[in-house]
Amino acid sequence: MNEALLRRRAVRGVTVLFLLLVSVIVITPLLFMVLGSFKNPLEASSFSLSLPGHWLFRNYLDVVREGSLGRAFVNSCLIAAASSALTVFFSSIASFVVARKRSRLAQFLYYFFFLGSLAPMQIIPTIQILKVAHIYGSFASVILIYAALNLSFGCFLYTGFIKSVPRALDEAALMEGASLFGIFFMVIFPLLTPANVTVSILIFLSIWNDINLPIYFLPDSTKWTMPLSVYGFFGRYSSSWNLVFADLALTALPVVILYLAAQKYVVSGLLVGAVKQ
Amino acid sequence: MREGNRLYSYIWVAPCLLLYVIFFAIPLFIGFYSAMTNWTMGREVTAFVGLENFRHIFSDPELLNAVRNTFLYTVVVVIFKNLFGFVLAIILSTPLSRKRRVNNLFRTLFYIPAVMSTIVLGVVFTRILHPLGLLNACLKSIGLGFLAQNWLINTRVVMLSIAGVSVWQWTGYHMVIYLAGIQGIAPDYLEAATIDGASTLQRLRKVTIPLLAATINMNVILSLIGGLRGFSEVYVLTNGGPGHASQVLTTEVLSKFAEGRWGLGTALNAVLFLLVAVICIPLLRQMRRQEVEE
Repeated sequence: MNEALLRRRAVRGVTVLFLLLVSVIVITPLLFMVLGSFKNPLEASSFSLSLPGHWLFRNYLDVVREGSLGRAFVNSCLIAAASSALTVFFSSIASFVVARKRSRLAQFLYYFFFLGSLAPMQIIPTIQILKVAHIYGSFASVILIYAALNLSFGCFLYTGFIKSVPRALDEAALMEGASLFGIFFMVIFPLLTPANVTVSILIFLSIWNDINLPIYFLPDSTKWTMPLSVYGFFGRYSSSWNLVFADLALTALPVVILYLAAQKYVVSGLLVGAVKQ
Repeated sequence: MREGNRLYSYIWVAPCLLLYVIFFAIPLFIGFYSAMTNWTMGREVTAFVGLENFRHIFSDPELLNAVRNTFLYTVVVVIFKNLFGFVLAIILSTPLSRKRRVNNLFRTLFYIPAVMSTIVLGVVFTRILHPLGLLNACLKSIGLGFLAQNWLINTRVVMLSIAGVSVWQWTGYHMVIYLAGIQGIAPDYLEAATIDGASTLQRLRKVTIPLLAATINMNVILSLIGGLRGFSEVYVLTNGGPGHASQVLTTEVLSKFAEGRWGLGTALNAVLFLLVAVICIPLLRQMRRQEVEE
């Protein structure tokens, strides 16, 4: 008995040690960036993990001023928030019908929307359509495209979620005289809260981190999002690595905070999407 | 029930469908058509050339190399993201403290790179993988100096270095999915196996892995799509260089578009789509079957 306990403790000790080692591998690159962001240009160019001689908090002020990160931050928030809101609204109402209807058309729509997760977007034809609509280069165009691309993921998640909500609820509400509108917004939508939070956060994160669309669709650099401005900044200030690191850290900070604050939803959503469906 | 079916109106699908069709499906079909034309920036007339672009892709050594790199990269990331993710999930599935606080702490930490921008991490890794960078310095300081490399310059290892950064970033993501799958297994199965005298390894092989079939499948699909469509990591770490040594399909698409060879670029995009579809759809179907069986 005692021996078994001892062995279990030893196994646990080795496990924790191993996990700590993995943690070091995960943390080191992030620490490297954060430490670098407080150094002076000379120290930062040595690319080591040493502590800064003087902690230069000023670096952050400098990049906000020179890299126009404030504007990029607002741009990123606007694009990511508007597209995730559109996606949540459109894909939840569409999935409600797709999940409930028992017809071939509903089945087809499910797969048709799923195609969006597999097929790469066609950039030049999309630009042409935007030019015909006279919205090329605008925030609206990027917001609509992001929404269109994420609808696929949204429908996938929502259809799975809504199928797990019993139809009996719809029928009961119908008996009480509710309209379809009432059934969805009074009964179903509140039950979808975890899915809503999850879909909006996951989409927000993926849009925040994307550079593919801004590269092609936002030629005007005043409309650039944070990661893209990082790229522009990196090109211009490649001799001041301390500033580049500060810029990188500022770009990463909002999503890391969002993740830590809403971790429960990020993780649970991932699971519902990946395992259940 | 019939009546119930009639209650739900397709009008609710319309906004979603409209947006999806205008900004995704129509460009997709235009793209498939223009993949068969010699559409070029500045050219007045665009002619239908059939499969000429595809013939070009499979006879141009540079583009063939991009196809090969895409495969190599995909195979490496699929294997290691899943292997590491699975092993970490197995380790983290046993409680390390009361209320699993320690487990949750590790899980939170390991997932952090997955929420960060690949561009941000990529720029950091250009410094870590620099010949005089952190990785080589670390290797030397622990006596493994012979492993030091010009990670992003040596054309023989550059693709593996990029794959390594991607594995570093996404292992935590796959770990979390595996962890959920493992925690979804009813404890009765494992208890029954223990009572029958199965060892830890036997339980893993005979109970956990078979019951995780759908989860494994999902993780493989996700990492496959991520690998085949991987763009940002290559773009930021090497932009296809040195020379064309680390070009993949997505970066070739960008460079063909930049050259104004739109027909060829869309054809490359179509090849990419076919690859993803041919590889992933059978796996998806299998996954749905596995779920029914459970």
